[in-house]
Amino acid sequence: MEFTWPWEYDFPPFFTLQPNLDTQRKQLEAWRKLVLDYCRHNKIFVLDVQESISLFQNKAIDRQLSTEGINQVLESLLEYNQIEWCDKAKKQCLVYWKNPQEWGNLIYRYASDKGMTNTVCTFYELTAGDDVQNEEFAGMDQSLLVKALKTLEATNKAEIIMFGGNEGVKFF
Amino acid sequence: MRKRPGIGAIHKQRVEQERFRGKATELQDNVFEQMTNQMEKFRTNLETFASKHRNEIKKNPAFRKQFQDMCASIGVDPLASSKGFWSELLGVGDFYYEIAVQVIEVCLATSPRNGGLITLGELRQRLIKARGKAQHHQEISNDDIIRAIKKLKVLGPGFSIVSLKGTQDTSDILIRSIPGELSADHTEVLKAAEAQSFTSVKALKSTLNWDDVRCLQILNELLRDGVAWVDEQSPEKTYWFPSFFKPLMSEDEIVLPPPN
Repeated sequence: MEFTWPWEYDFPPFFTLQPNLDTQRKQLEAWRKLVLDYCRHNKIFVLDVQESISLFQNKAIDRQLSTEGINQVLESLLEYNQIEWCDKAKKQCLVYWKNPQEWGNLIYRYASDKGMTNTVCTFYELTAGDDVQNEEFAGMDQSLLVKALKTLEATNKAEIIMFGGNEGVKFF
Repeated sequence: MRKRPGIGAIHKQRVEQERFRGKATELQDNVFEQMTNQMEKFRTNLETFASKHRNEIKKNPAFRKQFQDMCASIGVDPLASSKGFWSELLGVGDFYYEIAVQVIEVCLATSPRNGGLITLGELRQRLIKARGKAQHHQEISNDDIIRAIKKLKVLGPGFSIVSLKGTQDTSDILIRSIPGELSADHTEVLKAAEAQSFTSVKALKSTLNWDDVRCLQILNELLRDGVAWVDEQSPEKTYWFPSFFKPLMSEDEIVLPPPN
């Protein structure tokens, strides 16, 4: 299914950071939503700022958000806990169109539905195995997976374990 | 000790005033009674007329307008009348109240996008979408909407109607859902921007014959009010108005609670 761009994407001033702070707040809100919707649609778990530059431009109307604008959008996403930087240089970030807690719950529900409690499964099985191809968390970035599983550990629903160089998790 | 002077006179004066007041009330009561009788007679006639044409008034927007006009020309406002009468007899009051509430909802829901300025055309589209599918829910005229909005005035200066060209063309009438008046200059700028949904200092200078300072001043005020957005990536700074931006009109439906 084709991604549906919001109306703002065709609205030229959307790509100019608005001087009126009230309007800017609405603008950033629309950008946050656009970034999250776009990543959800394309199953992007890790956003590379350089590579995703096309998200911040619309060639059809020849407009693009300035670097400062992009930074503001990312700052705003960070403020709302919708992204988390992977590196100090701020080149990549995890995008939380679902936050780790929500992912944890989703994975836990999957595991208990499949009767996988009290068994150990590897990270690979959980994100790339044949059985999970139709699950929303298929292809999930490992650092995000760990964050999700840690939320389950905190409530004693799972335990991350290492065995023979492999990483896995045991659900309770 | 000497008696204080004047007390008696003041007392006397007060008694006289009292008497005058009594007489005045009596006269007023008489006039009032006459008026009440006349009003009663008039009301009965109007009621008869209204109940006779009840269905027509409820269902037919054109007839409804004529009825409203007739009432207006004889100085009666069916919507402002005593609460029970019209709503019991016609449901007319309810009809407009319902529209008014829906107008508020649509304006609130769209104001983050359009800064509280919406064309009558878009408002009506959204209202029709939001109302039930039944025929009589669908048939609301621009006149009905404007009437309903005018009723909102009693709640304060929050809603106003801005006519851009003095015509009845729906896209030329704007509903403003934020307090405060639009000045004549603001209206001129909106008028100039309407067709393309944007304008610039240069464009305004040539259409309105204003100088740079005046153009910029008004444009900046519209920015400040959140009605306009600025685009700095065109050769000249342009000022855009989401209220006129066409793709927005067909944008995803705004879900409103169903009418009662």
